[in-house]
Amino acid sequence: MIPSGLAGRSVLVTGGSRGIGRAIVELFAEEGANVTFFYKGNAEAAQDVVAKLRDAGRDAHAAQVDVTDAATCHTAVEALAARTERIDVLVNNAGVIRDNPLAALGDDDIKTVLDTNIGGVFNVTRAVVPYMVMQRAGTIINLSSVAGDKGGRGQTNYAASKGAVNAFTRALAVELAPRKIRVNAVAPGVIDTEMSQDVREMAGDAAKARILLKRFGTVQDVAYAVWFLASDYANYVTGQVFHVDGGFKLE
Amino acid sequence: MAEIPVTQDEIMAVFPKVAETMADALGCDVEDIKPDVSLIEGLDAESIDFLDMVFRLERAFKIKIPRGKIIENARGDLTEAEFEQNGIVTERGLAYLREYLSEVPAERFKTPMKVADIPRLFTPTTFCKLVVRAQKEAPAA
Repeated sequence: MIPSGLAGRSVLVTGGSRGIGRAIVELFAEEGANVTFFYKGNAEAAQDVVAKLRDAGRDAHAAQVDVTDAATCHTAVEALAARTERIDVLVNNAGVIRDNPLAALGDDDIKTVLDTNIGGVFNVTRAVVPYMVMQRAGTIINLSSVAGDKGGRGQTNYAASKGAVNAFTRALAVELAPRKIRVNAVAPGVIDTEMSQDVREMAGDAAKARILLKRFGTVQDVAYAVWFLASDYANYVTGQVFHVDGGFKLE
Repeated sequence: MAEIPVTQDEIMAVFPKVAETMADALGCDVEDIKPDVSLIEGLDAESIDFLDMVFRLERAFKIKIPRGKIIENARGDLTEAEFEQNGIVTERGLAYLREYLSEVPAERFKTPMKVADIPRLFTPTTFCKLVVRAQKEAPAA
């Protein structure tokens, strides 16, 4: 079998200190990739990820970056490129959730979710793409959600942001194909994380009834899909939204 | 905004490095980068190649070329409405363009000219001028 090609690659993951992002960081680091991740505020969690990986002899770096701030993203990406000389893989994972019925959403619930989940994708990707274009190589994986396609009660803000991620993914795949840069998305279903805790508590049984495999997903389930799309095994895959949702049924 | 004048000597001073950078972006031999070759017609450059050239020139010369600046500069002092109507460059716009892209042979200016076709006029010299202007606007520290 050919190698995945991820060993030694420079990988950037946003929102990497917890949940799905952390699982992605750990998986890529175990593969021997040179992983850098952005985290928004939880320095303790971030340092914990770095320390554990370094103890295990892996390479990992963390940078505090609010993805809603374009200038900060630009500076952080330049610093990364200066250190690693190239950026091979970008995983846009940073995301937030602020569920509520539409009429009950505050201005900030809408703005924060859109600014982070899709605005952040623009900010980081725009800073990274020049390097991939110059390298004539690279791959981008955006974390979407089952909500981007199938909706969800109380998730107009979140669903809109993830629908935008899907559209962004397909459009950028077209734009970057001439430079052999692949762009894909992974759309997780209900995953057992801190972020989805409220969803699982409120709609747990109803949600599970819609999942063909009758269980919530794990962060590793998602990380493996991201890993596949980033690897050389997926060299002929671009512009796709890959659902990792246990077979989530339409209502 | 009046354009900063650029002399032929200034263009030739940056040309070798611009040509080398462009050859890297286009994946062609540096000998193919003649000062007045059309990048699109002569060297098969695509839109992504233009971005690549801008990125590489920024790094090679330690300058900043704001995105969209090339077309914006080509419009000069004219408002959008003065420069183009329904995607076609106006007479005034064309006159300005001929002056701004003085390095481009006259026969390459087709009329009517679509705004979308302006990049077809760009040559390595166009980019040399862009570099020289960027250097003058913000001299390297």
